[in-house]
Amino acid sequence: MLKVEKLVAGYGKVQVLHGVSIEVADGQLVTLIGSNGAGKTTTLRALSGMIAPQSGSIKLGAVEIAGLPSHRITRLGVAHSPEGRRVFPTLPVSDNLLLGAFPRLTGARPKGDTAADLEKMFELFPRLRERRTQLAGTLSGGEQQMLAMARALMLNPDLLMLDEPSMGLSPRLVEEVFATIARLKATGITMLLVEQFAAAALEVADFGYVMENGRIAASGPAARLRDDPAVRAAYLGAAH
Amino acid sequence: MQILGQLIVSGISVGMIYGVIAFGYQLTFATSKTLNFGQGEALMLGALVGLTTINFLIGAGLGNLAAFLIMLPVVCVFGLLQGAAVEFFGVRQAVKNKSDSGWIMATIALGIIFKNMAENIWGHDALRFPSPLPEAAISFGGVRIQPMEIAIVIGAIALMIAIEIFNRRSIYGKAVIATANDRDAAGLMGIDTRLVIMFSYALSSMSAAFAGVLVAPVTLTGATMGAALGLKAFAVAIIGGLSSGIGVVVGGLILGITENLTGFYISTGYKDVPGLLLLLLVLSLKPAGLFGAKAIKKV
Repeated sequence: MLKVEKLVAGYGKVQVLHGVSIEVADGQLVTLIGSNGAGKTTTLRALSGMIAPQSGSIKLGAVEIAGLPSHRITRLGVAHSPEGRRVFPTLPVSDNLLLGAFPRLTGARPKGDTAADLEKMFELFPRLRERRTQLAGTLSGGEQQMLAMARALMLNPDLLMLDEPSMGLSPRLVEEVFATIARLKATGITMLLVEQFAAAALEVADFGYVMENGRIAASGPAARLRDDPAVRAAYLGAAH
Repeated sequence: MQILGQLIVSGISVGMIYGVIAFGYQLTFATSKTLNFGQGEALMLGALVGLTTINFLIGAGLGNLAAFLIMLPVVCVFGLLQGAAVEFFGVRQAVKNKSDSGWIMATIALGIIFKNMAENIWGHDALRFPSPLPEAAISFGGVRIQPMEIAIVIGAIALMIAIEIFNRRSIYGKAVIATANDRDAAGLMGIDTRLVIMFSYALSSMSAAFAGVLVAPVTLTGATMGAALGLKAFAVAIIGGLSSGIGVVVGGLILGITENLTGFYISTGYKDVPGLLLLLLVLSLKPAGLFGAKAIKKV
């Protein structure tokens, strides 16, 4: 599905990623973990075209997408729920969701049944149904997170990238978010999950990459990373 | 009392024109945080292209009103293209390079070029624009109103409502609002935000061109007609707030009416002063404009 090789990217003159190579196979849930500032978010931003990579290759299937503007990458089937949620505050929840399906509604992607998908989102996130007419800016942080995820899903994406879906949420909501991710995984959707809650992320993932200072420091099946003493000591804390 | 009514009524129609131009400023400011300082010239070009078109149609045997109605879409299409050109040549690079001021000079420069072109094509004289409606004023309790003044108010409101409905109802309009909310996030929705910005410039110039042919029958048409209107509408946009649709209408009316009142009761020489004083007052007391609200943002 996705194959990233020697990706170099950053902001202006500051280089953040120094040759990142990762792979996401069809139907897998791959997680990218690591401490603050390791380059996880920058990786996702480069993958979705929010920033242009300086060098390296990003292959979506057989298509090279490195350097394409973000709207073209989205139209190719990559949905990115960005850090900080970034919902559209002055638009109601329902419009936020419709905009997630923008490429489908405008002929850039197969249309499918957007009304049925909207209904599915409301089943997945019942809070959003209650709030459908409310402006997204007035939602709580947890609700905004659900909206950001649902909005990304409205693309009917081939690859769903989630950036820190648990950020700023109460422990109960974090649990809820991870339960949702597990449910999505069961539907067979391919996912790339960036998380600071490494333990929880490795719990749901098939495969994991550990990032350090803009490089991949370790990788392996999630179960193995979970048991790796070095990974445990550095990222999973004493509790595990 | 009758004179006061008269002054207010004619202030309203001028004010609505200011409002439409200011509305155009808002459209581009929302999506790109830039403005077309050649907005007055967009109005002037629209009016002159409209004049040539309507004269051609009347020459072909059409009545004034029919000619005017057929001319409207022509002028609108011209406005759209002219605005897209301004974005392409003047603004795109500046926005791409995140330049804070490049677009200011570029849009002013384009405005001057447009004015020179117009002077060469249509000459320096003010030209009469055929009125689509009877020019005889109707009297309402002693207050005389030209039918065209009513048409200005109706036309201006209709245009702004049409654009608002487009923004709120159609998926493309929602894409415009999304771009205004958060450009990066809009890109992630598959929205080509560069195209949206170009479109907002097109729509902005179209509004100005439309205002140009609305006001032309009651004023005169010429290469210099745009400059003062564009500047005053800018004041209106600041007074009303660059983010408030209702603000520009109210701001336009305030300016239009106070101008007329000052012109009559004090001196026409001071006609422009109260509006500009109001502008200074708003800037110092409520910089976001009378109706400008901060966007709701929650972290």
